[in-house]
Amino acid sequence: MSVEDISQRVRDFLAPHFHGHQLGDGDDIFALGFVNSLFAMQLVMFVEKEFGLKLEPDDLEIDNFRSISAVVGLVDARADKVVP
Amino acid sequence: MSDIRVTLREPVAGGHGPEIARRLFFVMPGLVDFKLVERDGAIHEIVFTADRPLDAGGLAERVTYLIDNEIRSLSLMPRKVVWESPEHRPAVDVFGQLVTEGIAFETGEGQVGFGEPLIGLMDYLDSEIRQMVVDSFGAQEFRYPTLIPTRTLERCAYFSSFPQYLMFVTRLHSDTNVYRNFLQRYGQGEQLDISVLHDCANVDYCLPPTMCFHTFAQFAGRALADGGKVVTAKGKSFRFESRYATTLQRLWDFTIREIVFMGTREKILESRRHFMQMMFDFVADLGLTGFCEVANDPFFVNTDTTSKILSQRLLELKYELRLDIGAGQTVAVGSFNFHDTFFSQSFDIRRPDGTEEGTVAHSACAGFGLERFVYAFVCQYGLDRRQWPARVTSAIKQHKEIS
Repeated sequence: MSVEDISQRVRDFLAPHFHGHQLGDGDDIFALGFVNSLFAMQLVMFVEKEFGLKLEPDDLEIDNFRSISAVVGLVDARADKVVP
Repeated sequence: MSDIRVTLREPVAGGHGPEIARRLFFVMPGLVDFKLVERDGAIHEIVFTADRPLDAGGLAERVTYLIDNEIRSLSLMPRKVVWESPEHRPAVDVFGQLVTEGIAFETGEGQVGFGEPLIGLMDYLDSEIRQMVVDSFGAQEFRYPTLIPTRTLERCAYFSSFPQYLMFVTRLHSDTNVYRNFLQRYGQGEQLDISVLHDCANVDYCLPPTMCFHTFAQFAGRALADGGKVVTAKGKSFRFESRYATTLQRLWDFTIREIVFMGTREKILESRRHFMQMMFDFVADLGLTGFCEVANDPFFVNTDTTSKILSQRLLELKYELRLDIGAGQTVAVGSFNFHDTFFSQSFDIRRPDGTEEGTVAHSACAGFGLERFVYAFVCQYGLDRRQWPARVTSAIKQHKEIS
């Protein structure tokens, strides 16, 4: 899957939560006031389910979930850990 | 005493042990001890010791519910230490010595009274923290009543997060018949029992589990002045800790020095970071051994427990400052918590006036358990004041001369 495809899927997931706000690749997802902290769980579950990944404990770092580009980077780096 | 063995429906990862262990005494009354039985990195059974005959099936059902709903789906996350003290001072548990020397005495479950030299030390630690936040953040100090309205705890969502800690305050109905019946029954020396609660229907006040809830209620429905607001308060706090109560490190009845930061997100997060560094420097200057790490609260009996814990740890909403108390044990003497807009939304606290007027504020708080702080200090430095750092003893002496 290309980085563009990953990015688009992440954007499609986030869009309904941001009510028309154009989220930049580097924007802090949790700083803009559209989602609260409990959204973190939804985001982690989305990444695992959507991309068939089994995240390791070390992956559960805020730097991997803070922005669209962070999530894309995580998924791209873990693409070898896809759960069949 | 009897042992009851609960075999888990499915084993659960051994890494979940600490989160399980901090909840088990709340599962059922009568439990006095437990042991997690681990094989091949997984917990298979829990062996409980009870001080009375217990319904084994009921216990197994409760344990299964707890583990399936709050533990099994919890993501195991690595420890994240953000600060370590430069000093490595050996620590020894001194509670036995405190009791032997008549300095500390247990007055009930989770309740410990104490005298000097702990009083002077507690006042010193508190006054240093207080001065720090007054000087650096312009904190305004308040003293709150001991009781807190139950409605305030509801607005803090305390019931859905920590029902196990609640301590209600009640009283007899204002009714002469109730008083007469009470006198008739108990005025002759009969022991008070649970049936008295039939005459006490009021649950409108509780004992406060922390000080910051008072602060949010105080600022409810208000827009903050420019620059936000920093408030500090010291007061008695109460949490039913069941059998987890230990020495001076975990009490049902303890003292918190708390600081609440309210304002814009950027400013609140920067204030928390700045204050954490100040506390690290303070602890290092005192020569104490400890560290600060990402932590989570013991949320309990709710379907969103795992979600709350993951959010807290992933977003680093909570850090705990832990100090050594001997035998490889540490105690959290303080925590630094970012609440996002959770409390401000619930209490309608708005940001400073200006272009963003009307926008909900962000908040953070830092709280220090003063008995724990004192206890860790004496576990590391001992009870002989001559062995304490000179800055501590001279400040205590100066304070006593003034007062």
